[in-house]
Amino acid sequence: MKFVDEFRDAELGRAVAVEILSRVEPGRHYKLMEVCGGHTHSIYKYGIDDLLPANVELVHGPGCPVCVIPMGRVDDGIAIAHHDGVIFTCFGDMMRVPGSSGSLLDAKAAGADIRMVYSPLDALRIAKQNPDREVVFFAIGFETTAPSTALTLRRARAERLPNFSVMCSHVTIVPPLRALLESPDLRLDGFIGPGHVSTVVGARPFQFIPADYGKPVVIAGFEPLDILQAIAMILRQLADGRSEVENQYKRVVPYEGNLRALEVMAEVFELRPHFEWRGLGFISHSGLKLSEAYADLDAEARFRVPGVRVADPKACQCGEVLKGVIKPWECKVFGTACTPERPIGTCMVSSEGACAAYYNFGRFAREREVV
Amino acid sequence: MTVLRVDCDRGLALCADEDGSRASVETALVDPVASGDVLLVHAGTALTRLVERWEAPAA
Repeated sequence: MKFVDEFRDAELGRAVAVEILSRVEPGRHYKLMEVCGGHTHSIYKYGIDDLLPANVELVHGPGCPVCVIPMGRVDDGIAIAHHDGVIFTCFGDMMRVPGSSGSLLDAKAAGADIRMVYSPLDALRIAKQNPDREVVFFAIGFETTAPSTALTLRRARAERLPNFSVMCSHVTIVPPLRALLESPDLRLDGFIGPGHVSTVVGARPFQFIPADYGKPVVIAGFEPLDILQAIAMILRQLADGRSEVENQYKRVVPYEGNLRALEVMAEVFELRPHFEWRGLGFISHSGLKLSEAYADLDAEARFRVPGVRVADPKACQCGEVLKGVIKPWECKVFGTACTPERPIGTCMVSSEGACAAYYNFGRFAREREVV
Repeated sequence: MTVLRVDCDRGLALCADEDGSRASVETALVDPVASGDVLLVHAGTALTRLVERWEAPAA
């Protein structure tokens, strides 16, 4: 397929791996963080870390949209879903995220009308088909999915649909990156920038990383050659003593982002003063809520929700995994009590979660190593 | 996803992914699309149209 096959060329991949090898200084340890769940998935799926020298370490950041949703938000969603006459809609991954007393899937099994949708537009269609029911969409994700929610709300407003509302849990990528860079327990040498978020926000929001922290950022695509080339570009910057934002994913990401998407987001959303991230705690101005103009479509204003903060299970170390402090397999419950079939933590739920990606692909290589 | 058919009035396009699965895609955020265009789609919304401006991976 065009734009895909060219970036899975094994011969070119080996050539880039050789370049990476030539760029590293012996005796220096390089710690590079990817902050997009899609990258984490690709790294394990294609075994990219196996092509890297031992002193180039990939660390997985908080880039999986499902993984960063705290338990309290799941409980709030379940509370709305249990209201009489409500059809609660969400993405498939979100249905399996554990709350304090089960997941949305458990609530569905217990009788709540919870439906999986592919896009918020599907939820809007369900609202049109069920005028006597209240339809709520559980909106999650970074700046990649927020435009879709914003456009759907704009359509709902234009079509004067009275029975549609959104429980908004969208988050933004820059505040957690700043929080990570301020974290004393994490020393990073550079970032693989989030390709699809950058399609919307552009490259400019990441300029603070080289400017304030002196670290290189390379925005990257999701095919194996994209990621390998981005790693080579970061190592090139480090070898040259440079720190800049570079764009490896030029076939998709324009420097200025998608101005129409930014415009509709600015119309529909505003920043929350603070938002809780699973494992990272409260981060200022990192979550989105509906703006004044769309406040009547806010499900949290329409329905009563508990709004209670719930601590993660003690056994779960998603917080450390999301911050890149530990590897998935270093978590106490990884692969035993916590598996994709019965996840305890969010990182094991989504295919973009570091634990699920490693469980599905990487663990086999590790088992071979042990043997 | 690849555009198969365009519905200009509703701002939607019928698209197919790599596996052949089809879906209606919102196209309000990109310039007018045509059959055969390749779109980056997230949550049912096209975020950009892919163009040939990439650099070949360094060898």
